[in-house]
Amino acid sequence: MLEGLLGNIVIEKIFFTLLVYGEGYPLGMAKNFGEPVNRFQQQLKRLEDSGIIASRLIGNVRLYTFNPRYPFLKELKALISKAYEFVPENEKNKYYKRRTRPRRAGKPL
Amino acid sequence: MKIDWGKISIKDLASLVCGKLNEKEIDAVLVGGACVSIYTNNTYVSYDLDFVSHTSLKHIAGALSGLGFRRESTRHFVRKDCPFFIEFVAPPLSIGTEPVKQRKKLKSRFGELVLLTPTDSVKDRLAAFYHWNDTEALEQAVLVAKAQKVSLEEVRRWSEHEGHMKKYEIFIATLKK
Repeated sequence: MLEGLLGNIVIEKIFFTLLVYGEGYPLGMAKNFGEPVNRFQQQLKRLEDSGIIASRLIGNVRLYTFNPRYPFLKELKALISKAYEFVPENEKNKYYKRRTRPRRAGKPL
Repeated sequence: MKIDWGKISIKDLASLVCGKLNEKEIDAVLVGGACVSIYTNNTYVSYDLDFVSHTSLKHIAGALSGLGFRRESTRHFVRKDCPFFIEFVAPPLSIGTEPVKQRKKLKSRFGELVLLTPTDSVKDRLAAFYHWNDTEALEQAVLVAKAQKVSLEEVRRWSEHEGHMKKYEIFIATLKK
């Protein structure tokens, strides 16, 4: 949808993930979309280098969010939100409606 | 002029970098913790020099090689015998959602340094406190506000625009302690 503008479908997936879940990590995104993790790592690094997203290390996991200090964040999010409205429902159900509420440690699935 | 890279001050190094970039017609502005170091006369010590420039990193790398700094990763530059670390953060030059309109110029024996004004330096540190709850950044903002002439009216206006008046009140309360 925004691939032509962003130059890359992986970036679109990253943006939708961060918009919907608020945060994300490379392996989680790779598993969610069934794609190699290095594709996400590369683009996340590129976006972080550009100041659009920010990351912090939690244990061994590098967690990414939109960078709240990015000066065009409000406008960027407005564009991504608009584009997300056009994502087909089956795709939203498959990729963007994961359980986000807590799950107690040790609880059987 | 002989330079002792191991003992060079942050202000002198920043001036050297600015001067070298200026020679090549590259604009760069010092931002972040290094401004705090300079404005507080090293009450807060930073080993990280963050610059913002709209010139490509390739051109910047060429200019900095003249000072013996080599590019270590995408945006970082190091020199073996120098304790400081230079980073070129992604443009634009902004604080929160607003562009930076003023710059401060300081002269040293190594040249002219261009950096954020004290008021913008306070806003820059407060942005980290507002968005990431970084209390160290709050302390840095207070240090600059105590050491330099800062427009609290402007800081208040900006804080309101950013939607962080509650945290601005914390800043003011900390400043008055």
